Amino acid sequence: MTLAAQILATTIILTTPILLAAIGGLVNRQGGIVNIALEAKMIAGAFIAIVVSSATGSWLLAVFASAALGGAIGYVFSLTITRANANMIIAGLGLNILVAGLLGFLLSRVYGTSGTLRLPDVHLLPKIFPESVSDVPLIGPVLAALDPLTLFAWLAVAALPFLLANTRLGLRLRAAGNAPQVVRSVGLREKSIQDFGTTFAGIFSGLAGAHLSLASIGLFNEGLSAGRGFIALAAFYFARNRPVGTALVCLFFGFLDASQIRLQTAGLPPKLIGTLPYLMVILGLCLAAWNTKRKLQA
Amino acid sequence: MSDNAHTDAMPADGLAAMVRRGLDDSLRFVVPIAIAFAVGAVLLLAIGENPLETYGLMFSEAFSSQRRFAATLSAATPLLFTAVATAICFRTGVFNVGVDGAFILGGLAAATFGVMLPMSIGWWIIPLSILAAMLVAAFWLWIPGVLLARLDVDEVVSTLMLNFVALGIAGFLVNGVLLSETSGNNTTETIHSTAELSRLLPPSTLHSGFLLGLACVFAYALWSSWTPAGFEAKLVGLNKRFARAVGISIPSTIIVVMVISGLVAGLGGASHALGQVHKFSDGFSAGYGFTGMAVALLARNSALGIVFGAILFGALASAGTTIQLFSDIPLDIVNVIEGTVMIFAVVELGKLTLWRKGKRP
Repeated sequence: MTLAAQILATTIILTTPILLAAIGGLVNRQGGIVNIALEAKMIAGAFIAIVVSSATGSWLLAVFASAALGGAIGYVFSLTITRANANMIIAGLGLNILVAGLLGFLLSRVYGTSGTLRLPDVHLLPKIFPESVSDVPLIGPVLAALDPLTLFAWLAVAALPFLLANTRLGLRLRAAGNAPQVVRSVGLREKSIQDFGTTFAGIFSGLAGAHLSLASIGLFNEGLSAGRGFIALAAFYFARNRPVGTALVCLFFGFLDASQIRLQTAGLPPKLIGTLPYLMVILGLCLAAWNTKRKLQA
Repeated sequence: MSDNAHTDAMPADGLAAMVRRGLDDSLRFVVPIAIAFAVGAVLLLAIGENPLETYGLMFSEAFSSQRRFAATLSAATPLLFTAVATAICFRTGVFNVGVDGAFILGGLAAATFGVMLPMSIGWWIIPLSILAAMLVAAFWLWIPGVLLARLDVDEVVSTLMLNFVALGIAGFLVNGVLLSETSGNNTTETIHSTAELSRLLPPSTLHSGFLLGLACVFAYALWSSWTPAGFEAKLVGLNKRFARAVGISIPSTIIVVMVISGLVAGLGGASHALGQVHKFSDGFSAGYGFTGMAVALLARNSALGIVFGAILFGALASAGTTIQLFSDIPLDIVNVIEGTVMIFAVVELGKLTLWRKGKRP
């Protein structure tokens, strides 16, 4: 029982960065833009979180800085797509390389380290509940591990279906993705709406980065995001942009991550387990495509 | 080369048009690079280095002696393959971003054969290893090709995801059944010496894989400009409806270009494994698939442009390593330049199409 509770707690915490990035990506995609550069904003967010947390001693300021940096990168990225007509896939891959290069450059030239940045007095994300809550049976360890960003991510998942379906902005965003000509014909600027979507994705990816560096480890490493931006992409593609479905897929990916060491001792190779999210997307896309084809033929 | 060869063959095109097109192509090649170098210059200024001095040093490190030039060409070698493999698909309108994964699996196959085949078969070991690499990589890209052609599964996502799957499979194998007993973690044994590709200018690592790469570019130029299949592929890329109307099978064209792309990527992986590193280990591809994509974009899929682009990025990589050693400028500046080139290569393309169609959406 305690083992299950432990794995559950680790799962929840490891899910958070993937989930935050996936929320951003799915909103972005509902607005018609496939964001390949979640990874870039995530790693930038992780970096600035450590720097600001160390400089100010405030985790909250650090989290805001991550969101602001992620959002700013997202906005500029969006302009290259919506205003300068750049191909979103190539621009996204380019941005990933560019940001990784900039961070590496900064690390070795400004901080004089290669790869890992340790700074003094980094304040980690606080826990929401006092330590004693872990005595609660089964969900105790989960409650004890809960941090503000994790709570925020799940609140966002709960609010998102309503926000997308019932608010003016949500409606306009989905319209910009599905029928840009309609948006234009009623006098709205679909490009600005899409820019909002990409900025939103940037903010959430930045938060994902802050969670990566500030949840427990308190340092920055160039390989910190380790492809989680792409796993997030896999999650919302697999769940076809539905918020709750995406969250459940993220939870499953988080579970794989959390149980990796135990699966390894059970004889399952971690490298192959790691490919599961990517294989699932391809399989999911195939099933969806096959379904459409069958319907068309029927 | 493809475009130039095309215009050479049709003098009726008119000199003015030819000059305009040549100018247009060179501008599209030069502008993204210029912007990228400007971004790099800002970065260098910010850390108090003189950008002109640094770039001058990089240029002389890359080209000023036979040894240095050989190092540049050696670094350009894998890019020739990955750029061609990317260009084949891009000009057909197939967004294959999975060349990196095919390159990795090709390299793994070649290294495995180079280790496992008996020495007694002599030089046969090289063509057999190369063949294995090409087949594995071609099969790898055949999968997303078929999925796109038959089920209309988005090739961007499938090929992007397959890169990670390839990385996982390779990582699993080199830490498991293929793991070397003598040289530690994450690596296969070193291949037999008979399986090594010959070195062209011995102190440097430049190997005959470079010639294979040039041959690939040449074959690509021939295929794209002079064969019906290459022409059909181009039509599919330009206008699917028109291509269908004139009787070209779009699904089979897609599958064919994906398989050819895989063959080329696999050959590149084999060249890198047998010629450069002589084994397969984690980190086999330093993003060659993506740098190759930047090269293909810059070159606008032209063969001549690919050669120039590959040498440019080869020079950046080899000179970047040296200046990191001697003047404390991080190698990461090469990534900054590469990322910027990719973004601005497509930004400009967008502007130009916008301008040509004469409408602002």
